[in-house]
Amino acid sequence: MRRSFAWGAALLIAASLTGCTVGGGTSTSGGEISFLTFETPNLPPFYWDSAIKRVTDRNPGLSVKKLVAPSTDRTGYAKQLLQSGQFPDVAIAVDSAGFAESGNLYAWTPEELKDFQFPAANPIKGGHHQLPANTQTIPPIYYNKKLFADAGITSAPATWGELLAASEKLKAKGITPFTIGGGKEGFPSAMLLDGLVSVEVYGKTPDWLSQRRADKVKFTDPAFQQAFGKFADLVAKGYLDKTQVSRDYSATEAAFLNGEGAMYPMGNWFAASADAKKPSFDIGVFNFPSEDGKLVVPAYTGGGIVVNAKSPKLDAARKFALAFQLDKEQIDASVKADGLFPAIKGYTPPSDAGPVFKAGYELYKEAVAKNAVVNAFSWETADDGLLPGMKDKVYQAAQDVITGRKPVADACAFLDAEWAKAR
Amino acid sequence: MRRKPILPRVWHFASFGAPGVVIYLCFVMAPILISFGYSLTNHNPFNPPSEFVGLENYKLLFQDEQFLTALRVTTILTVIVVVVPNLLGLGVAVLLDRKGWLYHALRSVFFTPVILSSVVVSIIWTKLLDDRGPVNDLLRAVGVEQPPGWLSDPDLALFSVASIVCWQMLGFCVVVYLAGLQGVPAELLEAAEIDGAGPVRRFRAVTWPLLAPSLTINTVVLLISAFKTYDYVKVVTNGGPGSGTTATIAFDVLATGLDANHVGYASAMAVVMLVIVATLTTIVLRFLRRREVDL
Repeated sequence: MRRSFAWGAALLIAASLTGCTVGGGTSTSGGEISFLTFETPNLPPFYWDSAIKRVTDRNPGLSVKKLVAPSTDRTGYAKQLLQSGQFPDVAIAVDSAGFAESGNLYAWTPEELKDFQFPAANPIKGGHHQLPANTQTIPPIYYNKKLFADAGITSAPATWGELLAASEKLKAKGITPFTIGGGKEGFPSAMLLDGLVSVEVYGKTPDWLSQRRADKVKFTDPAFQQAFGKFADLVAKGYLDKTQVSRDYSATEAAFLNGEGAMYPMGNWFAASADAKKPSFDIGVFNFPSEDGKLVVPAYTGGGIVVNAKSPKLDAARKFALAFQLDKEQIDASVKADGLFPAIKGYTPPSDAGPVFKAGYELYKEAVAKNAVVNAFSWETADDGLLPGMKDKVYQAAQDVITGRKPVADACAFLDAEWAKAR
Repeated sequence: MRRKPILPRVWHFASFGAPGVVIYLCFVMAPILISFGYSLTNHNPFNPPSEFVGLENYKLLFQDEQFLTALRVTTILTVIVVVVPNLLGLGVAVLLDRKGWLYHALRSVFFTPVILSSVVVSIIWTKLLDDRGPVNDLLRAVGVEQPPGWLSDPDLALFSVASIVCWQMLGFCVVVYLAGLQGVPAELLEAAEIDGAGPVRRFRAVTWPLLAPSLTINTVVLLISAFKTYDYVKVVTNGGPGSGTTATIAFDVLATGLDANHVGYASAMAVVMLVIVATLTTIVLRFLRRREVDL
């Protein structure tokens, strides 16, 4: 009898352990939904805790368990969670590609998207799976007004020629024209390339990447090579310091804020740091210049919350997602913390937003008014985005050119070869 | 004479062995078999269903320039990581094989990096080796105008990553060699001294042969650790600068499987890596075991 009891207990324990770890789906209990977030210097734990509390306080039925991605690669972490049967009910700023096609993400209805400015952003197979909550311009160029003045530059460059002339003046004064980075994040080394491809290639062929997906164009085609060639030209003229490719993102930002380098091509989220950290010099911002000065502004709208289509608490998850993204106080907080441009109809940023944010926002509003917004190369996430795994290849190609390991033609051929493998 | 019944004896041994066997099967053998199974398919978790492709992934692998580059990078890294901590560890262990509080304290100093997380170690060294970091600041202070780009120079980055791994593994080697040194019988050394052998001769003829088991342990552990190096590369260089400079096979497996979602292809890489490590380990073990002597 005693032995039977022991066996029974052992089996129960084994069954319960197995149930906890294998194919358990979402692991929330009761009315609680799980919410995958991430942390950066701009978005510390306090930001997320406050945001969640604001929403749950206003929606008494909601209870949220916060999960935090172990690094800024929240998409990679979300994949691990999906594979291990622990995909959260709600996740923010996770690249929806792959998750959406495989039916893991809820597709929002037009009614649910009615308050968003660009409800048609980032379609995947016709569905809209990520709330188009914010727009980010990637990259405007931030500049150190003091170093510009020291080099005798009186106005922000509006054409590619003016940018080269300003860089030459800065270099002649012993100032590094561009601050770049790389290291474990990779993307700060490709920001100038992203800007050049967006402005030069997408400016003329907005659906270029869709055409690349259809194999109608290639990275080795003259249009792409020409844009990449301009990047290589900056390197050849010594306007970038190749030793900076080892610097991670936070060190890159710190270097610019410390006055090392006159220009900083970075997404508009940098404005939040610039306004919060108040460096000893004024910071200006200008749109990435095109060859002839035609206004073309690369931007990405998306980055909002995605909901697990298979969540047992789907209704609660959708309710939380919309409440989180449409809450005015929360949107104001995201503007101040991360410099985002909320893409919510009728929204105006708080009057006490910082000057760098306001300057960038004005540039963006002008681009929207003039219908001059294009996709930001390597940041797109929908049907017209890079294939999975290709972002890192773009960063590598940029670094190969910066460090002199490959000429532009080889770097473009490398991208085509990697594209073929990524299919 | 009455024989003991067999069943209780079998039960006795099974109850001892079963937990270990179950754990081994679940956490070692099953993942290997599953991985091998995936490697024969084009499995992509986001694009089901997967199809059986036979050995196609393996065929593609050996035509894939990136994989071959990763293999080269991993080989160079492994050679450095197996040789350098072994040599330095032996030297440090010989120096520290004395009594006294100072030597005890120094042993702790050398062992401390081993217990640190490799991610923490990587972050620390990334800051130290940055172009504007303390190492280059020191070089500039002593008159080096253009100090090396430890992590940004494609020709140097791999050696920098290898140095970080060596730095962390040094303490492990020191401890294993120290344990080996303390097992060398004093009377053998005294006898050699009485026979007129000097310190170098005593080390070569008495100590070194008796350290063979320590060499075996260190070499095998370092070989396996070096071959599966992922965390240092991920944190310090993310496989760069550029393409194929520091990306190891383990790094490539994760990038291909998790970033590009090509789990089948990544599994083939992992299987090849397993075969290489198993083969090398077997060869090294057989070779080194032959050197070992029993007292």
